[in-house]
Amino acid sequence: MNVLYHNDVTLRERVAECLQDDFKHKAIETAQEVFYAKRGALVEEMGEGWQELRLRATEIRNHVTENLDYYVKLFAENAEANGYIMHYAPTDQDALADVIDIFEKHQAQTTVKSKSMMTEEVGLNEVLEEAGYTVVETDCAECILQKAESKPSHIVVPALHFDRDAICDIFTEKCGYEGTSVPEELTHFLRRYLRPEFLNADIGIRGCNFAVAATGSPTLITNEGNGRMVDSVPKVQIIFVGIDRIVPDLQSLDVMEALVPRSAVGSKMTAYFSVDSGPAHADEVDGPVEAHIILMDNGRSRILKTEFEPMFRCMRCGACLNICPVYRHITGHGYGSIYPGPMGVVMTPNLVGYDEIDTMVFACSLCGACSDHCPATIPLHDLIRAHRIEIVDEGKNHSNEVPVFKLLRKMWSDVGFYKFAMSAGGPMMRLFADSSKGALTVNSTWMPVVKGWTSTRDFDVLSKDRFRTWFKNHKPLAAETPVQENQGTEGGDA
Amino acid sequence: MAVGNKTLQDLLGPISKQMGHTAVAENVELPEWEHVPWRCTDGMNQQQLVDKFIEEAGKIGITIVRTPAADIAKAVAGIIQEGVPEAPASCTVVAANDERFAAAGLYDTVSGLGNVSELTVWDNTKGQANVDAAEKATYGITYAVGGIADTATIVQPSGPNCGRTTSLLPLVHIALVDAATIKPIMQDVMKDIEAQGGQLPSSICFISGPSATADIELVRVQGVHGPMYIYYVLVD
Ligand code: SF4
Repeated sequence: MNVLYHNDVTLRERVAECLQDDFKHKAIETAQEVFYAKRGALVEEMGEGWQELRLRATEIRNHVTENLDYYVKLFAENAEANGYIMHYAPTDQDALADVIDIFEKHQAQTTVKSKSMMTEEVGLNEVLEEAGYTVVETDCAECILQKAESKPSHIVVPALHFDRDAICDIFTEKCGYEGTSVPEELTHFLRRYLRPEFLNADIGIRGCNFAVAATGSPTLITNEGNGRMVDSVPKVQIIFVGIDRIVPDLQSLDVMEALVPRSAVGSKMTAYFSVDSGPAHADEVDGPVEAHIILMDNGRSRILKTEFEPMFRCMRCGACLNICPVYRHITGHGYGSIYPGPMGVVMTPNLVGYDEIDTMVFACSLCGACSDHCPATIPLHDLIRAHRIEIVDEGKNHSNEVPVFKLLRKMWSDVGFYKFAMSAGGPMMRLFADSSKGALTVNSTWMPVVKGWTSTRDFDVLSKDRFRTWFKNHKPLAAETPVQENQGTEGGDA
Repeated sequence: MAVGNKTLQDLLGPISKQMGHTAVAENVELPEWEHVPWRCTDGMNQQQLVDKFIEEAGKIGITIVRTPAADIAKAVAGIIQEGVPEAPASCTVVAANDERFAAAGLYDTVSGLGNVSELTVWDNTKGQANVDAAEKATYGITYAVGGIADTATIVQPSGPNCGRTTSLLPLVHIALVDAATIKPIMQDVMKDIEAQGGQLPSSICFISGPSATADIELVRVQGVHGPMYIYYVLVD
């Protein structure tokens, strides 16, 4: 499992590093604002229809989850009937082994890839490269990251942390680029640079946004056309499909497609949406002659019938990142997971367990903006809270927090109190704040909920945009706590 | 347990178990969906749908040319004659093999243009040569099977007479679409496909605009790996 990266340092150190990188979080801030404004305009245009769409998507996805084994089987059987060669991967290791087998069978040398989170999740690139194969990332941002040996800072626009000059330098150094740093010129260079890679690749590897059970069809959303290239040119194709990607029928795609681009980047539609149903037919001259599907679980099914089950509805749109105040400041890299932001805080521990994730589930202010914006109405902040509670129950937290979070659980499980607290949030906290500092200080340790946070650092009032300032100002204080005492979970890290 | 080469049963077992199922259900009916979202195309007549399609196309960098069916050759020739800034003085064209193109004299008209040095009509007996032609071509011409008003999308299946790369590799994609085939939203197209039944095309691409990216500083750039320009020839 390659979900986590950069975990040789603590989450606190990563966050501190991200906070110092002014360009990086300025870029994230801009992206959030741009996407937010564009999305807002489209949502407004849809009026009541937007909420209904979200609820329909929720219904559809819940129906699949409630009958998941049936739908996984249905998709698998129909995909096989379409001519796909099916590979079943309960774990990442199974997926990797099967991919290597395909490469060996074809004596492949090079592969072109279009952006796929699942291949990142299993660490496919590293494994293929180690085995001696050349892997070419073809999404513009992924290509930049690959050349720069960097990690995504956003799930939809992963190379935001590089500015045009940095990208120009990377291309100059690694690809023999000789032009200026104008984005148009850089992009058109990539068109010329990657074209031969597509044409010469032995195998194309791609992900799948939604898998249609009734017709056995994987689908692909792309804007740049690299996904279509991977889908059209190489003679052998490998498609990674998660068991959480399934929709019942073609008509369901309409609902998903109406939600995803709007939520992700504030567009009504992406340039391309491909619905594939098998390899090229015998009378066709392009498209893959041989197409494989790797249908993978890799820990996903563990959350079935648990409170985390709603995560099966996630469409990986990134809307929750685009609205998250914590993400805004610590950026994708702060989390140290390929799945960052609210969706990542929920998913990462589900996939890798609590032992590995440092204090990630505390990288959230529980403000709930993510849940309001999620097109699949996933109650993200509730699930993040649920993780915290489980961690306390498992005794993996900072000892101070055991009583706090036990109490928290009681209080939060009282729906009435929870609703009140959420709606009251800011105003309520302001009541308790030391007005001279504008933050909750040690004087508020009597408040059971925040005790344990405020005894080691001040807790910023749930106010607009101050997290970053808060973190910077309080870094010295936080650092006083010896690292070994913080190995479990500890509030206020991010 | 060895890794790789697992069976469907190996995958399904843990899922069913986690769900408390002893066996996978034989059949599951789709429920009646409770929520029926309002869509902006609700209640529009065909004329309004076409207008919406044109309006949305204008927002995403698509050039629309309207023409009666008899004049499609002229319309396409006009686009190629006018050209795009990146087009070479003498360029090549790849086109789907379509009876309507032949009937309208489109192949003759296009290959007779002064700035066209070669026209390749998709011919599946010639294999890879088609793809090579598409790769070189400045213009790729296809006939879409339908359109979607809400998002100015065209529906482009692959098949023996029109490959996936016909609309992908050229610098410019010229797509013909019948105004009468424009549907309100994607769901309507999907319903039709479901109703037709039978084997689906190996690929159906829903195309909405030129290939584009905003990966560098969120600056929108047209023309990444697919066409840099796209024209819809709306046939009345
Ligand atoms: S959790 Fe919701 S908002 Fe976040 S990526 Fe998934 S679907 Fe999008």
